[in-house]
Amino acid sequence: MPIVKLYANLRKLAGTKELIVTESTIGAVLNELVKQNPPLGDVILENGKLRQHIVITLNGHNAVDLNVEVNEQDIVAIFPPIAGG
Amino acid sequence: MAGWSEKVLDIDLNNKTYRTYPLDMEISRLFIGGRGLGARLLWDMVGPEVDALAPENVLIFTNGPLTATGYQTSNRFSVTTKSPLTGTVLDANSGGFWGMQFKKAGYDVMIVRGKSEKPVWIEIKNDVIAFHDASELWGMRVFALTEKLGQNNNKRNVLCIGPAGENLSRIASIMNDRERALARGGPGAVMGSKNLKAIVVEGKDRTEINDPEQFKFLLYETRKLLAASPLTSQALPEFGTVVLMNIMNNIGALATRNHQQTQFEGAEAISGEELTEKYLVKNSSCWACPIGCTRISKTDKAEGEGPEFESTWAFGAQCGIDDLPAIIEANMLCNDLGLDTISAGSTIACAMEMSENGYLDSDLRFGRADQLAPTLEAIAHRKDVGADLADGSLRLGTKYGHPELSMSAKGMEMPAYDPRGMQGQGLLYATSNRGGCHMRGNMVGPEVLGLPKLIDRFQVQGKSSFVTLHQNSSAAIDSLVICKFTNMGVADEYFARVLSAVTGIQYDTGEMIRVGERVWNLERMYNLREGFTSKDDTLPPRLLNDAPTDGPSKGWVVKLEPMLKEYYRGRGWDENGVPTPKKLADLGLAGL
Repeated sequence: MPIVKLYANLRKLAGTKELIVTESTIGAVLNELVKQNPPLGDVILENGKLRQHIVITLNGHNAVDLNVEVNEQDIVAIFPPIAGG
Repeated sequence: MAGWSEKVLDIDLNNKTYRTYPLDMEISRLFIGGRGLGARLLWDMVGPEVDALAPENVLIFTNGPLTATGYQTSNRFSVTTKSPLTGTVLDANSGGFWGMQFKKAGYDVMIVRGKSEKPVWIEIKNDVIAFHDASELWGMRVFALTEKLGQNNNKRNVLCIGPAGENLSRIASIMNDRERALARGGPGAVMGSKNLKAIVVEGKDRTEINDPEQFKFLLYETRKLLAASPLTSQALPEFGTVVLMNIMNNIGALATRNHQQTQFEGAEAISGEELTEKYLVKNSSCWACPIGCTRISKTDKAEGEGPEFESTWAFGAQCGIDDLPAIIEANMLCNDLGLDTISAGSTIACAMEMSENGYLDSDLRFGRADQLAPTLEAIAHRKDVGADLADGSLRLGTKYGHPELSMSAKGMEMPAYDPRGMQGQGLLYATSNRGGCHMRGNMVGPEVLGLPKLIDRFQVQGKSSFVTLHQNSSAAIDSLVICKFTNMGVADEYFARVLSAVTGIQYDTGEMIRVGERVWNLERMYNLREGFTSKDDTLPPRLLNDAPTDGPSKGWVVKLEPMLKEYYRGRGWDENGVPTPKKLADLGLAGL
């Protein structure tokens, strides 16, 4: 099963660092995630679309297309707005 | 003219005298202040015949027209000199309080020349300049000295060197306000070579503002913009800069064990999340900064500022160490000794790899957290193996026949971002005028975080234009001189409006970027005059030839050559990386 990893303040909102989700698409994974953890909704999505500055990677590669398939063994990482240097 | 004090303080340590004279306002209009003004003055004062540690080298401290106005983050200042680490032009800038106080003392520029016969410290109270014997202070560490000389954040501010600067370590920093650093490139060694231990400032002047009503309005708007941005109102205050650790590791661009890998299995243990949960005491901030990204951390043995992302990486992933308390303590020790954390950590990592391969006779090994503190002490005091490490990784590697193991560009140790997973960052390191540095533009925004928009981090073609834009913008902000984090909530356009309101000179966004381009080209010309060529615009062979064997950056090396050709062309330079006479004339640099 694919794994979703959460970072920074998303962990506090979800009460966990990672979750198991069903195989689907990035968009469907996000919807499932928000359904399981409603507090994440306002942080990640805005009117069903990704909020500005949210970074999602699929196996370490930036995922910008929410229709991309998420398969068995895949790791989806979600980062809230972060900065530094 | 409003904004500038229009006054230069010129100190000669050879005979402990000083003079003051008017600042050239035409130069100031073209280069503003901070890094730009410093580079322009250095051009006239220090040529290729001068060794960086000779009395003829100078330290040029500069602030800018926004400094001490109360504009958000208007606390920063610069030091410009010839670098003893790289031999290039060097500017380093720092926040805290000292820069604000220096401006209030009534000066835009302070030049320190020559060498004192005995250790000395300087006290500045506006027009009263005093030279004090520092013989009894020589050898003191930064924290104790800062307290002894009367640090008081809003009234009296201390800038000094620690043992590393005294012992001419080429990776020594100058420290201000106890834990703020003019860190990179070894300015602390230049100060040490002059037998100058500290500069203490007290000031009472107010910076004149040309249009106070407009300025007040822009202050209000900037406050709203910074509060509205999730980056400046939430991300930086809540987790600090170390929050980058996990994402850089996730995408396979976190340099690990002297850049032998691009992912670190211990990243989570040294992450911003871990630091915040277990070791954060509270946030702190520089003068006039509403962002407050500074962390006050505490372990069983120490409490103080930091660590930032780069420092945590340098002693963490780069050394294969996942012991966060040891990393926090190493960071604080560097501040107390006056050492640059990035170069110190990466030089130790280089020594670890050399030792493991039998090229260096030492017991340094990756993963040995217990070796950090004693090795830093050895570097700062030039003892045992530290005597070699004190000169940085390139001199260390060269001395023992393996310069290729120095993860540096132009001799300056690179920061955390492994450019095999960020092609633009590779070009940026290779072309940076002060060597391997992420503060002369940083591609982590567009290549990783989507700031302002996400671009393909592996893309090569077309990448140079982004790098050039970031380098020019960075040079402009460094010349104002304010904190680059402000730019995460406030567009460049605002800085031009604020500068216009303060000075009365009409700057627009285009002119601001042109200032940045002018500064970049001047710095390039300085380095060319020093004997650098396009052959120096390169990276360690490991990054050009050895692709990671696993992780998201698997199979990638930095494809530097095509990016470099495109970069030279885009900058209006010839095929050898030399600015053309036309380019120089267009920028007001004809005759250089």
